[in-house]
Amino acid sequence: MNRILPLLPWLLALALLAVLPQVLTVKYYLHLSILALIWVIVAQGQNLIQGFTGYVSIVQAGFMGIGAYGSTLMGLNFQWPLWATMIMAPLITALFALATGYPSLRVKGHYFAIVTLAFNLIIVIVLVNYSELTKGEAGISNIPKPWGGNREAFYYLALVLAASLTLLAALIARSRVGEILLAIRQNEDLVAALGIAAWKYKLFAFVISAMYAGLGGALYAHFQGFINPEIFGVAQSLDAILAVILGGSGTIAGPAIGAFLVVFLPEFLRFADSFRLILYGLILVLATIFMPIGIVGIIKAAFARIARREVRHGG
Amino acid sequence: MSKHKFTRACAALALTLVAGSSLAAEKKLTVGVADALTGGGAVYGLPQANAVKMAAEEINAAGGIKVGPDIYKIDVIAYDDKANPTEATNAVRKLIDRDGVKYILGFCCSGSTSAVASFIGNEKAVMLVGNAAERSITTKKIPNLVRTRPPADYTGQAAGTFIARKGQKRIAVLGALDVGFYAQYVDSVEREIKKVGGEIIAREVFSLKDRDMTPQLTKIRGLNPDAILVVGYVEPAAFVYRQAVELGMNIPRYGFTSGSEEQFLRVTTSEQMEGVWDLRPTELTLLSASKNGIAYHANYTKKYNASPSPSSPYAYDQLYALKAAIEAAGTVDNTEAVAKALRNLAVPPQVVMQYQPVDGKMFDVNGQAYTSNGAFQWQKGKWVFVEDLPSDSKAYSQFLSTLK
Amino acid sequence: MLIEILQQTINGLAIGGVYVLIALGLTTVFGILGIAHFAHGSISMFGGYLTYFLVTAQGLPVLAAIPVALAAGILLGLLVEILAYRPVRNANHINAFIVALGLTMMVEGINLQLFGHEQVVIPTGLSRVFRLGGITVPELRLYVIVAAIVLVVAMMIFVERTKTGQAIRAVAENRDAAILMGVNVRTIPLIVFGMSTALGVAAGIMVGALFAIAPGIGEGLVVKGFAVLILGGLGSFPGAILGGTVLGITESIAAGFISSAYKDVIAFVVMILVLLIRPQGLLGRAP
Repeated sequence: MNRILPLLPWLLALALLAVLPQVLTVKYYLHLSILALIWVIVAQGQNLIQGFTGYVSIVQAGFMGIGAYGSTLMGLNFQWPLWATMIMAPLITALFALATGYPSLRVKGHYFAIVTLAFNLIIVIVLVNYSELTKGEAGISNIPKPWGGNREAFYYLALVLAASLTLLAALIARSRVGEILLAIRQNEDLVAALGIAAWKYKLFAFVISAMYAGLGGALYAHFQGFINPEIFGVAQSLDAILAVILGGSGTIAGPAIGAFLVVFLPEFLRFADSFRLILYGLILVLATIFMPIGIVGIIKAAFARIARREVRHGG
Repeated sequence: MSKHKFTRACAALALTLVAGSSLAAEKKLTVGVADALTGGGAVYGLPQANAVKMAAEEINAAGGIKVGPDIYKIDVIAYDDKANPTEATNAVRKLIDRDGVKYILGFCCSGSTSAVASFIGNEKAVMLVGNAAERSITTKKIPNLVRTRPPADYTGQAAGTFIARKGQKRIAVLGALDVGFYAQYVDSVEREIKKVGGEIIAREVFSLKDRDMTPQLTKIRGLNPDAILVVGYVEPAAFVYRQAVELGMNIPRYGFTSGSEEQFLRVTTSEQMEGVWDLRPTELTLLSASKNGIAYHANYTKKYNASPSPSSPYAYDQLYALKAAIEAAGTVDNTEAVAKALRNLAVPPQVVMQYQPVDGKMFDVNGQAYTSNGAFQWQKGKWVFVEDLPSDSKAYSQFLSTLK
Repeated sequence: MLIEILQQTINGLAIGGVYVLIALGLTTVFGILGIAHFAHGSISMFGGYLTYFLVTAQGLPVLAAIPVALAAGILLGLLVEILAYRPVRNANHINAFIVALGLTMMVEGINLQLFGHEQVVIPTGLSRVFRLGGITVPELRLYVIVAAIVLVVAMMIFVERTKTGQAIRAVAENRDAAILMGVNVRTIPLIVFGMSTALGVAAGIMVGALFAIAPGIGEGLVVKGFAVLILGGLGSFPGAILGGTVLGITESIAAGFISSAYKDVIAFVVMILVLLIRPQGLLGRAP
């Protein structure tokens, strides 16, 4: 019983998400939910490098772009089936991540953040200007969608993938690798002093996080049916960071909750019309000041307080 | 819990709306606008949204849309898409799925427009595109999409003939060539000047955010061209004209920017602009404008306390075309019939731009409208309409039909 | 060829000067408070718009508008420090970054409400062009470069020679030791933010006079500013000066001789290559 109890909220959330398409009558919310599930995958990837390893990467959307364009262009130019290109997308992204991760991970902290940001800008500039291949800023439309564009079916595909990849992230976090990543976050020099090649683990986290993004990007492309470079700019990489921080950095539930927030909150704020940007910014500032450890952190703290009180009462 | 509350609130809102409309003597037709209201694209999107709202007020004041015995007053919901494809998709999904809107106007910018165009064919809705100039938007034979602005290369062909006639052989291009339709414009110009033995000797690029063009211009100056051709959004393009003068480049300057006097004079002096050509659709400029154009300019300026952007009537005309199509189809609910009526529409008398109908119709089989093209020259602080650029809308329409 | 290289170098100097000012503001905040002040660019933009507004709508002469805009900018900087950054001082560094991100959106949004969506150019009336041999320099560019040098020198004197400057450096070197020495560590952040914002607003005005300010321009500025910081070495004043100049000239040479489409890519690749050889940046201290 004690082992199942922590899983209970997860099963509940999963069950809720599973029946969601049946109760949502307005398809707009289904559309947003699919985007949010894609962002769960992207944010779980971001959390591996940012939350667990402590390296704030600003290239997650760029890697989404690599996955999206990779899958789309392979389908377009080699006539590969959709499923094959979607499986290839994270692998291609991994290659790019290896090539960019090696120089980036030689530096730390803010240096790392800015170098990754530069890579994101480079990816976008190349996507825009290498138009013989990418069709530039005009973008690629009519990207094939699975099941003839059936949104409900796509929702379940995204849900299954988001749930499995969340589980995978949890497994990585609890493995020996995950422990070493956490140790790197807390004190990298100490890890090195223990004779562990920290760079291997950092590169592993960086590449896996990029693969998450690559898959998320491919899903995005085959869900929307249209991509252009604008979608994979720095602003969206910042969204990935936001999702992790708002939800709860270094937790498993945090990025999932955060992903739904970064998709739904700006949409909800449409009522504010031209004040939307101001309001969104204000919410970010207030949320960060008053919930520095994210939503999951707040909930955990609240539960801990209740538990303590109960113990006190009981004793 | 909160979701429940929200649904209930929506239901209540819907009820009041239904009750309200049954009490009122006239019915309400809600049209949506998806456009860039913030960010870099707002220069184009915001005036377009304003233009649609103004057209709606005018139509309502003049008695609304008449469909059989019913009279519809127009209501406009405008959502910001930041010219971003994801945001545009979300905004249009919200308009169609949640707000129950069937007619969507606006669309200033190519990326966001292409994203919506990629799925609108499957929806029971009609999409009217404005300023977005990417050619491929109307090559996909989407039955429920029309566009008021002609594709960039339609204008480019006419411009190329004009430059060829002027006799300069070695042309240097500086422009937003990373944007598809600007590159298409240049390709058309190149085809035309090659026929008379001319060539394009440089294709230098500036991005939307660049304001310092001196590196590119210094390079071009070193090549000694006969003339320079500037294609791109007015904000960066104005700096090319100014800095070319500052660098002592005294050669003919051609352009495709569609900027207004106000927009250029913010950046340059009138002397720095003297003699510059703009080869573009005959959009809104006071000197070339028809009676409708002059009235539009005056009304817009009065209502919004700012001059309308030259491309904003593309959106204004959308609503008048839609009104005419709905009245011709005799229905507001059957979007297929309205889309079909749009394709069969004669140019409505209230539009501002000067359309060149194909076979008597405003929109051709691709859903594309064509305006006339003109050569404008900056003379003593103003754009002066110098001559029509002969352009064959029917031939171009046939060419467009062959594209995929 | 030689003339072209010289001309391109001069072309790059003006924008390089702007980068230096932006980077100096960022580097002081970073060196002393450890904050990646991402909102810096949008505050520069706001300063530029404000100057434009004072000149065109209020009819102030440019030289009178600049101090007003600087003062308003400094005030805004202080507000930002007290209301937004101070509450997250003791949290994770990334939290301050998110606050900065939110602030950027707010400043952008408010700016849009106040000044509209059109790009503006601060009118200066300075339109003469100096010519020397085959090289041309518009007078405004020259003044901008000179003004940037003056500001940089003034700041160096302030930091090196005054008591407050020494206190700032002491905090930057070692916060705890500074407290023991009796430095008031509560007022130092305010002074630092005031100074940094003043530099940022000055850069915004320069961009507005020389080129134009438009919505969204702040993000581009701050990204380049951070690139300069990384190139020159975080927290290093000479590094920011060298890095900004190098970046400006690199961009101009890259656009003129290699590819205008990929000039930013080339500039970033240069930055990354420098880091591969010197992970602490050109003039940064080795960790």
